[in-house]
Amino acid sequence: MQLGFYIDQSRCINCHTCAVACKDWHNIPAGSVNWRWVVSVEQGKYPRVFVAFFALSCLHCAKPACIPACPVGAITKRQADGIVLVDRDACLGKEDCGLCREACPYKAPQFATDGEAKMQMCHLCADRWQEGRKPVCVEACPMRALDAGPLDKLEARYGMLKQVPGFVYAAESRPSVVFKARQPELLQ
Amino acid sequence: MGEARIITTSCSHDCGGRCLLRVHVHDGKIVRIETDDGEAPQLRACLRGRAYRQRIYSPDRLKYPLKRVGARGEGKFQRISWDEALDTVANELLRVRSMYGNASILLLAGSGSQAVLHGAGAVERLLAKFGGYTRTWGIPSFEGALFASMATYGTMMTGNAREDLLNARLIVMWGWNPAVTVWDTNTAYILARAKEKGTRIISIDPRLIESTAVFAAEWIPIRPGTDAAMLVAMAYVIMERRLEDRQFLEKYTVGFDKFRDYVLGVEDGIPKTPTWAEKITGIPRATIEKLAIEYATSKPAALIPGWGPARGSRGEQFTRAACTIIAMTGNIGIAGGYAGGFMRAFHSREMVMPRGARNPVEEGAPPRPYSLYKLRGAAKPTSARIHSVKVYDAILRGRAGGYPCDPKMAYIVASNFLCSYPNTNQGIKAFQKLEFIVVHEQRMTPTARFADILLPVNTFMEREDIISPWLGSPYYLFMNKAIDSLYESKSDRDICAELAPRLGIADYRDGRSNEEWLRIITQQTGDIPDFDSFKAKGYVKLKVDEPFVAFREQIEDPVAHPFPTLSGKIEIYCPHLAEMENPLIPPIAKYLPVPDGFSDPLSKKYPLQLVTVHHKPATHTTMERIPWLDEVEPRRVWINTRDAETRGISNGDRVLVFNDRGKMLMAANVTERIMPGVVSIGHGGWFELDANGVDHGGCTNILTPSEHSPGGAWCTNTVLVEVRKV
Ligand code: SF4
Repeated sequence: MQLGFYIDQSRCINCHTCAVACKDWHNIPAGSVNWRWVVSVEQGKYPRVFVAFFALSCLHCAKPACIPACPVGAITKRQADGIVLVDRDACLGKEDCGLCREACPYKAPQFATDGEAKMQMCHLCADRWQEGRKPVCVEACPMRALDAGPLDKLEARYGMLKQVPGFVYAAESRPSVVFKARQPELLQ
Repeated sequence: MGEARIITTSCSHDCGGRCLLRVHVHDGKIVRIETDDGEAPQLRACLRGRAYRQRIYSPDRLKYPLKRVGARGEGKFQRISWDEALDTVANELLRVRSMYGNASILLLAGSGSQAVLHGAGAVERLLAKFGGYTRTWGIPSFEGALFASMATYGTMMTGNAREDLLNARLIVMWGWNPAVTVWDTNTAYILARAKEKGTRIISIDPRLIESTAVFAAEWIPIRPGTDAAMLVAMAYVIMERRLEDRQFLEKYTVGFDKFRDYVLGVEDGIPKTPTWAEKITGIPRATIEKLAIEYATSKPAALIPGWGPARGSRGEQFTRAACTIIAMTGNIGIAGGYAGGFMRAFHSREMVMPRGARNPVEEGAPPRPYSLYKLRGAAKPTSARIHSVKVYDAILRGRAGGYPCDPKMAYIVASNFLCSYPNTNQGIKAFQKLEFIVVHEQRMTPTARFADILLPVNTFMEREDIISPWLGSPYYLFMNKAIDSLYESKSDRDICAELAPRLGIADYRDGRSNEEWLRIITQQTGDIPDFDSFKAKGYVKLKVDEPFVAFREQIEDPVAHPFPTLSGKIEIYCPHLAEMENPLIPPIAKYLPVPDGFSDPLSKKYPLQLVTVHHKPATHTTMERIPWLDEVEPRRVWINTRDAETRGISNGDRVLVFNDRGKMLMAANVTERIMPGVVSIGHGGWFELDANGVDHGGCTNILTPSEHSPGGAWCTNTVLVEVRKV
C-alpha cells in the first residue's frame, strides 16, 4: 500500500495554516526548516493575471530519488505504507553531504542552518497514522484543500490529475499525489 | 511523558473569525494546539490560532508590573510590586479626577480582547463606577459602513448567513477578502463551495487579493476611493435599460426619484454615465455596463460591499451607493441576495455583560452633530466622545480646539494604540503631553513603551470566558482556561477588582464571581440550554433549518414588520441626513471627490495611492512578532511592475515610502497583482523610528491622515505617497 496526498489548488487560499500547524505539531522552530510549504504561482500581465496556490511537502514517491542519492542509506521507504523515512543518526548532514536535497525534484529534504543540520522532512505524520488520524495539515486546512490516504483510494475519489500550474510531475520518481487545478479564468 | 490534557477554547482577538482551539497541556505547559475535528460545521482555526503557543511564551511577554524610569517612550522600566503599581494608578486616577474632573480621564480601549468578561469592558466598568471617563467613537474597521447601514436600513443586522451564499447565482466581492480577513469562520470555505456549484464570482479591488485568485472568474481593478462612482454609473445603466425592480422600489423604499435625478444629471447637469465613471475609476465603460447588466439580471445576486472601501474619505458613500443598487435590484430579504450595509447576521454577537453603571460623563450631553441620533441600535451618538482619529489632536488642543474635554491621563487597555491609529508621529507628540499613562498589556508593544505604569495582563488561555462569532454566526464558544497565569500577570478584570477598593468603589464585581456572571450571560442569550455542558463541550452550535436571511420578514410582511428606519422603509433618500445639510454626507448616495484622493493636486507630489490592508499573519498588531507567523509573510509594499520600473525598483529592494506625515522603509514586492498607480502595505506594524524619524517596523499609520468623514469613516485607504529606492 502507498499513502499519498490530495492537493486542491482550486481551493488553497495561501493561508499557511497547514504549514504552521505542522510546525506546532512537530515542534519545529521558525526560520529553520519547512516540512510543508506553500507554492504561489503568478502568471500573466496586469490586468490579466493568473494567481494560484498549493501546499507541498515530501510526496513519498513510489521511486524516491533521494534514496539512491544517499551515500549511507539513511533514507528508507516503509514497506507497509510507502512513507519515506530518514534515520537522522545515520545522516551525514548538509555540510558533508546534502545530496538527497539536490536529487529531490521538489527539494523536500530539509536541513536546518544551525547545529548538526541532519536531514528532516514530512513523514506524513506517521505518529498520527498509528492512532488512526490523518496528518495534522489535513485536519488543519480551513479550506479542506488537503487530504491524505492510500493513493489508489485518493485517485478513485479525486481523479488522476498529476500536474497543475506550478507543479511538474516527476515521472521517474512517481510522487504519491493527485491534484485538482485552479482554472485560468482570470487570464481570459 | 504522561498524557496531555486537552482543553477547549477559542481565540478572542479581532481577527474576523471565531474558531475552536483544542489546546494540549502537559505539566502546566501548552505543548500543542489543534482545532475542531468534531461535528459540523467544524470551526477550523487559521494560522494565527495555530501559532498561539509562540505568543503565550513570547520573550516579549510582560512579566511584572513596571514603572517608567527613562523618558516616556524610551522603554526604560523598573520592576515594581503589584501594590505599588495599583496604588500609583489609583492615586493618579484620584488626583486627575479631583483636579480636572472625570472627563479628563481618557479611555483608549482597543479590540485586543473580544470575550465577554475581559478586555476593555472590564476597565469601562471600573471607570463608570468611578464617576465616568471620556471614550472614543469611530471604529477603525467599519464606522463608514455602520453609518451607511443605519442611514439606509436603520440597523446593523443586515447580513445573511454564510451558507446562504450557496443560493446566489452571482456573487460580487467588492473590496472584500475573506480569504485573509476571515469575516466569520468558514466564509472562504463556503465561497469555494459556491464556486464549485457553478456560481459566478466577480471581484472588484485594486489588488488581486487571495479571494480573487481563488474564487473569482473576473477581476475588475478599481482606483481606490472611486467605488461610489462605479456604483452610481452602474445605477445609470440599470435605469437606462429599465432593469430596476420598480415594484420593489415602490413597496419597500423611499426617495428613489431623488437618487434618479442625481444619476441622470437632472440635479447637477452631469449624467453619471459609464463614460463619466471610466475617467474616475479607471475601469473601461464597457466593463461597467456589462457588470451592471449582469448584476441586475442575475437574481438572486449577492453584492457584498466590504468594509475596506468604506474605510476611506467619504467612505460612507460607497456603502450607501452599494445598498442603493442592491435595493434597485430587489436583492433584499431573499435567499441568495445580500443587503450590504454593516452585514451582521445573527444576534449571537450581541451577547454582552450587563452594564454595571452608565458613564456619567456622557449623561445629558447633546447628540453629536452629524450623528443619526434619532435611530437606535448603533453606538451611542453622544457629543461627549472624541473621534478615535482625533484623539491626538484632542490631547494637544483640548477644549480650546473644540473637543469635549482636556485629556490629562490615558487609560489604555487591549490596544496598541500608537501603531493602530492614524498619524503615529502626531501620537508620539500627543502622548508626551499627558500627565499620566497606564497601559494594560500582554507584551512590550510600542504603545506599552509609553506607559508610566505598565500592568502585565494574562492571555485568554490563562482565564475563563465566553465568546460569540465576529459577525454573528449561530454558535457560541466557551473559553476554558488552559494554564495558570504566567509570571505575575493578571486578568483585566482582576486588575480592576483590585483597583476598585483603592478608588472607593465597594463592589466592582457586583457580588458575583466570574462564573456566576458567565452563567447569567449564557442564560441571557436564550440559545444555550445548559451552562455546564456548554463549558464541558466548549461550544454550542445552533441547529438552523434554513440559512438566516436579513429582512426576510420585512419583505414578506412589510406591514407587520417595517424596516427600523424613521420611515419604516429602506431609505435611498434619508431625511435624517437631509436635516444635517452637510454636503459631505448627502441624503442620497453620491460620488464625492476627496482630498488625498487621485484627483487631488497633491498627487503631483505624491503620485501613488496607498491602501493599508489587513496583513494576513498579524490581526492588526496582536499577532505581530510571532516567529512562526513572521516567516509566512513579511510586510512589504506592493507596487506594480510599471511603477517599479519607472522608479528603478526591483523586487525585494529596500524602498522608502513617504509623504508629509512620515517615512517608512521596507522591502518592495514588485507584482502584477496591483493596479498601476496604487501601492499597498499591511496595516499595523510595530513602529521603530531611527534617528532620522524613519520607521523600520512596518507601521503604516506613520503615513495615514488623522481625518475622518462626518459619518465617522476612517481615511486610512485615502493616502497619497511616493516610493523611492534607497
Ligand atoms: S491550510 Fe489549506 S488553504 Fe491554507 S495554505 Fe495550507 S493547503 Fe492552502
